[in-house]
Amino acid sequence: MSNNRVSRRQFLNYTLTGVGGFMAAGMLLPMVRFAIDPVLQTKAEGDFVQTSQKVADLTEEPVRVDFSYEQVDAWYKSEVTDTAWVYKQGDQVIALSPVCKHLGCTVNWAGDSAHPDQFFCACHGGRYEKTGKNIPGTPPTGPLDEYEVAEQDGLVMLGKKIANTLV
Amino acid sequence: MLNKIYDWVDERLDITPIWRDIADHEVPEHVNPAHHFSAFVYCFGGLTFFVTVIQILSGMFLTMYYVPDVENAWKSVYYLQNEVAFGEIVRGMHHWGASLVIVMMFLHTLRVFFTGSYKKPRELNWIVGVLIFCVMLGLGFTGYLLPWDMKALFATKVGIEIAASVPFIGELIKILLAGDATIIGAQTLTRFFAIHVFFLPAALFALLAAHFIMIRRQGISGPL
Amino acid sequence: MHRGKGMKFVGDSRIKANNRMVNMPKDYSEYPGKTEAFWPDFLLKEWMVGAVFLIGYLLLTVAHPSPLEGPADPTNASYIPLPDWYFLFLYQLLKYTYASGPYNVIGAIIVPGIAIGALLLVPFLDKGPERRPSKRPLPTAFMLLALASMIYLTWESVVNHDWEAAKAQGEITDEHLGLVPEVELDKEAEGYLIYSGEQGKSCIACHGTEMEGGGAAPRLLGNELTAEEVAEVIKNGRGAMPSGQFAGTDEELQVLAEFIASLKPEE
Repeated sequence: MSNNRVSRRQFLNYTLTGVGGFMAAGMLLPMVRFAIDPVLQTKAEGDFVQTSQKVADLTEEPVRVDFSYEQVDAWYKSEVTDTAWVYKQGDQVIALSPVCKHLGCTVNWAGDSAHPDQFFCACHGGRYEKTGKNIPGTPPTGPLDEYEVAEQDGLVMLGKKIANTLV
Repeated sequence: MLNKIYDWVDERLDITPIWRDIADHEVPEHVNPAHHFSAFVYCFGGLTFFVTVIQILSGMFLTMYYVPDVENAWKSVYYLQNEVAFGEIVRGMHHWGASLVIVMMFLHTLRVFFTGSYKKPRELNWIVGVLIFCVMLGLGFTGYLLPWDMKALFATKVGIEIAASVPFIGELIKILLAGDATIIGAQTLTRFFAIHVFFLPAALFALLAAHFIMIRRQGISGPL
Repeated sequence: MHRGKGMKFVGDSRIKANNRMVNMPKDYSEYPGKTEAFWPDFLLKEWMVGAVFLIGYLLLTVAHPSPLEGPADPTNASYIPLPDWYFLFLYQLLKYTYASGPYNVIGAIIVPGIAIGALLLVPFLDKGPERRPSKRPLPTAFMLLALASMIYLTWESVVNHDWEAAKAQGEITDEHLGLVPEVELDKEAEGYLIYSGEQGKSCIACHGTEMEGGGAAPRLLGNELTAEEVAEVIKNGRGAMPSGQFAGTDEELQVLAEFIASLKPEE
């Protein structure tokens, strides 16, 4: 037997702490797991959206592709429409977001007749090269975003918006 | 009649000491604006509490009409502001009160700082005060989203991006706040509502109680 | 609990039956200066201040109805966000080179973190017995510096913000209230051909093929402008719309303006 014998009072204190801890854990565990669920939820990766654009019809000239998909935000489902500028470079299909990096207006391919091989934003005259690289001296601060691209049944599939990988 | 009722209750519960302690506590001359006009700076704390009470009351009444749902939140705010009698005033009280509480609390903090009132033995009360400040800012941030209008959504997007820039755990904080890794939507609104209406007020009540009990035990700091 | 000789209790309770506290105000003559009781003397003065404050507060709510913008639209990519005014200084801080982009963590976390941390620990950083601000120059100087920079940053963000564009971008439209007028769009009309043609390239880019508007651009269907006003806007721009976008001739501009002005619901 050790000399530090646990006194009756100490024993009761420890037991009280233990039972209290059990009650707190029993109450809080389900609640905390409930609250942090979004962090632990695994999303289906690579959710691609089918567009009506045939890959075979693509050329090196960017075309405007409108597409829409159902966005599921827990119990709230909504139809989201979006646009991309799609073209072929060699065998690779490239899809760029039309959202100007200056203030979010919409860019157009060859929108400015003085620059027929560039994207042009009518709002403040921002221009981008075909790769989406912003032309220095125009308002945008970065290159156009890019979409992840896949192909299915000969149609272009668009995925997440990612930072431009061509520049 | 009233006296009789009081005596009847007091005989059974001995309530006199409970409220006499608060009623009789002495207020020194140097904090009394009636004697020194400059002592009005000592009113800022009380006014902060006054606005806080208005915030709690107006917030309680706002939830009679408000729905924290992406489809209906904006519509319910538009309705309660434009269709309900005095809706403009009740929402106005909550909206402008949010600003006033920050202003008064800021002035109160400056008063305590520049009179050096946080010094021994009042360190703990200062810390609790700073925590109240943080809770109030949190209430302001979460409340800003609830009307679900354009500025609410986009200011929250920026705010959540700021939280996401915390090293290592930023992404976790972001998902915990927004309820989704990419969307600021239905789950963000319900989360912010819960935080704004239950979690932060609960923390605020606990901290305010600690703040007031400490003032009552220590008394107000002496003159400079 | 109270115990002792001669103590009596009410029934079987723990409430004292004798030697109870008398319900009488305390005597303040022993206290220094003009010390007075909290209740009712001092509280009356506080409530008088509170009453004046409340009047100002209510006047404010009546004079300035609280703002409400159009319902949140996450697809609108052109909205320039603005936080509540008391976060403006932080918002402005994040615009500076060494507090944004790759240095974002400095502006977003480190600077505010140090500020809050220092505020929290003030009692342990400034431990001397002196209380007068003039006798403790360092804390006073730091606080004044922090105050000055907050005021400066808030001021900078206010003067650099385009308040007119901010007002326009959040406006509540009839569309939000479910009052969208039914307007038929004649895509064969001469005006529409100009709108969708080479001259109107920059029109259709933002206002859309159905004239439904988009990100930065309002809906044109069911507008409330006259032809003269439309021509004026096309020439000189308005809000986020820059001037001189239309590439056609003056006659074409006239046709387009009349066409757009005609897009009104039938009475």
